[in-house]
Amino acid sequence: MNYVPGTASLIDDIDKKHLVLLRDGRTLIGYLRSIDQFANLVFHQTVERIHVGKKFGDIPRGIFIVRGENVVLLGEIDVDKPCDTVLQQVSIEEILEEQRLQQQAKQETEKVKMQVLKDRGLSIPKADNLDEY
Amino acid sequence: MFRFQSLDDDCTLEEEDGGLVAEEDEIDQFNDDTFGAGAIDDDWQEEHKRLAGLDEQPAVGAEGGGGGGMGRESDLGGVENSSSTHLPSSLGHHPLPSSLPSLNFSSSSSGLPPPGLPPGPPPSSMLSYQQQQHLLRRGPAPLGQDSPLMSIIKEVGLPKLPPQGRNDEGRDLSERVPPPRSSSPVIGSPPVRAVPIGTPPKQPMSHSLNHQTHHPAAVHVRAPVQHRYPPPFPERLSPNTLLNIANSPLCRGPFPPGVGPVLSQIQRAQLLNSQVAGFPRGGPLLPGAGGFRPFFGGPPPPHGHRMGPLPPHGPPNHTPPIRHNTTHLHPQHRRMLTQRMQSRGGDRGRTGGDRRSRDPYSNLMTQKEKEWVTKIQMMQLQSTDPYLDDYYYQNYYEKMEKRQERERDSSKKEHTTKLITPQVAKVEHTYRPVQFAGSLGKLTVSSVNNPRKMIDAVVTTRTDDEEKREKQVWNKRRQILYTVEKMYSLLLEVQDFEKRFVQAPEEDREALLEQHKTNTVQLCNSLRDKEWDDRVSDEQCVMIMSVRKGKRLISRLLPILPSPQATAIVMAIARNLPALAKKDKQDQVLCWLVEPLSAVIQSLSSSALTDLLQELQGSEGQLATVLHNKFGVTLLYLILSEGERMQSSDPNCQLMDDNRWTELVFSVTRELLSVPSSSLSPPLFTPANLLSLFSRYVDRQRLELLQNKLQISALSR
Repeated sequence: MNYVPGTASLIDDIDKKHLVLLRDGRTLIGYLRSIDQFANLVFHQTVERIHVGKKFGDIPRGIFIVRGENVVLLGEIDVDKPCDTVLQQVSIEEILEEQRLQQQAKQETEKVKMQVLKDRGLSIPKADNLDEY
Repeated sequence: MFRFQSLDDDCTLEEEDGGLVAEEDEIDQFNDDTFGAGAIDDDWQEEHKRLAGLDEQPAVGAEGGGGGGMGRESDLGGVENSSSTHLPSSLGHHPLPSSLPSLNFSSSSSGLPPPGLPPGPPPSSMLSYQQQQHLLRRGPAPLGQDSPLMSIIKEVGLPKLPPQGRNDEGRDLSERVPPPRSSSPVIGSPPVRAVPIGTPPKQPMSHSLNHQTHHPAAVHVRAPVQHRYPPPFPERLSPNTLLNIANSPLCRGPFPPGVGPVLSQIQRAQLLNSQVAGFPRGGPLLPGAGGFRPFFGGPPPPHGHRMGPLPPHGPPNHTPPIRHNTTHLHPQHRRMLTQRMQSRGGDRGRTGGDRRSRDPYSNLMTQKEKEWVTKIQMMQLQSTDPYLDDYYYQNYYEKMEKRQERERDSSKKEHTTKLITPQVAKVEHTYRPVQFAGSLGKLTVSSVNNPRKMIDAVVTTRTDDEEKREKQVWNKRRQILYTVEKMYSLLLEVQDFEKRFVQAPEEDREALLEQHKTNTVQLCNSLRDKEWDDRVSDEQCVMIMSVRKGKRLISRLLPILPSPQATAIVMAIARNLPALAKKDKQDQVLCWLVEPLSAVIQSLSSSALTDLLQELQGSEGQLATVLHNKFGVTLLYLILSEGERMQSSDPNCQLMDDNRWTELVFSVTRELLSVPSSSLSPPLFTPANLLSLFSRYVDRQRLELLQNKLQISALSR
């Protein structure tokens, strides 16, 4: 039922399973239960999905309230559609371990890069993790 | 988390409180209501006994680690009680989990201690702040059976739990009423005609009051209470409905219902402070009230459903349907889960809608709330002047409609759904800041519409001479910009006039016309230097044109100005071209003026044209500068071409009547020939009839030279 023709609204997405990507990079999957005028979202039976390479792991989180401004994108998940991805689900511990390794590797390369640049007298200022306006 | 040591500081309050207890029985009742439901917890009893003896032995948090398994949803940062780990076991016996597992008030029915509880009390670091306070207060009071709380518990007992079968069907939440939201503050804001953003859907007033006070009288309320939202299973009252009924008699406090949340906060704070007597009030009132809120938000729901059976909440170990890692679940729970999974697998073939109907958590958002959000969204589309607020959409829509009308056959009258935004009538809001009667001095109530003045900025005049001069320069520039802006707004109004005229109803058209006339007059006037002088001021024009925006303004203005004034402006431009060209070096936007200028020039009379050409050549060496500048060359060509057109089209034209024109053209040709090609700027375009013009005045040789030069200039464009 389109409440307001010609506009986009989250009302029709309620009680459906969604995937949301947050600004801090987290991916949450849950049932969208409630919204408000700021597009704050209330997720139910939320699962945080961590992807590392071809593996992923789900961490159950329960109820999530996401402040609207932190949403990058939000999309409905079709539960009926067969899931034929190449992704392989692993346990939480494993995925966290993988993530840790990935972070470590990234840090290593970053360190090496910085060192190389420093040797050459160059420096690339590190972009802050927070948003810059 | 709160350390046990803090109790030392708080212990001193006990003495104060002892004397007050007798007087504030009623308020103590509130206390009990607030904290009392926690007393149903057996742990609390033990804890209470322990603290009554002022046993200051901090029991080591051996159970602290146990809280981790359940503590995943420790959202309020409340209690991670020891028995939280044993909840799964207690679940099996009494499916009465707390909604917030971290706040352990669930435990058991009276008299049956949760299995596996350690005999020692949990460390006080596990207690929430309010519990501590409550315990302190209860210190001097008699213990055990005499405690009013215990008596109440005995009297009321814990409600019977619904049979196990109910759980399989899932929890029905359709009657759940969400906590009402507070509406935007009214005080300090202009009177609200439309429903402001943030207004909750119309719910019974008791809701809003109930929410604000947070004093559940759950203990006093019997289970079979009739309330407005008859649930399918009457024994099960959602916490909120329970609160609503329970609190409505209590909460018609001294304050009228129409009070906004600002006062209700004060009300809340007052009530809090009155009943939490002796509580250290470190900060001001409101922050204290605000700080309390999280704690108050926590216990009431659990208290609420102490009376009611199974709360409308999922199992404490909240597993989404996808999750398979259910190792930490209680076996019974796991059984439930698998059952549910099977049933879900069974109806996988059905439609999504059907599945949704079996989703126990669906429709958490009531229709009213959905409408409320939609209303807010629609409200943002409301506009008293759509042309102002939504100009591009309106124009686009008009174009689309016209296109559709052209394309569509008149027979098929299908109309696409149009977004019809409500047109709100323009109501003049005269805003008067709120004033309290009988107050000493002016109290400032700041709101979003009336923000508080943070800095008292005082304008100081600087006496330094140099700075003055510099300032004058800046001031002048600012003045120019200001003039440009004012003219622009007038111009836009004038240009929009036609559209609005068509849109406006009959009565308004007169007024609109009047407005339009005034605007045009004003525009013309702004070009004048002095009030009484009717001519367009050169200086003013040049000033305006020294700014980029000013040039744009003039280019838009020229078409709508009456002829004499337009001519005057063109003259002014010609006269001051070198200066303008210099100022334009950075912007290079003089060429915007070409089009409107050409229109004006074409409307000029011959004498005017001659005058114009004269102006262009004005002072010594001006023509050279003119030729150096692209715009200048273009202008010159325009003039010449117009003259030629006049001559060729109308043999009777007066261009040749006096020799001025001829002389001017001669001088132009002289200049053109003498000026080196490099400094001759290519024009924007070369009119075609220039050659014929020159052929009239110069001999063949010169003509050829001119041709080459101009062609060269044309090619080098």
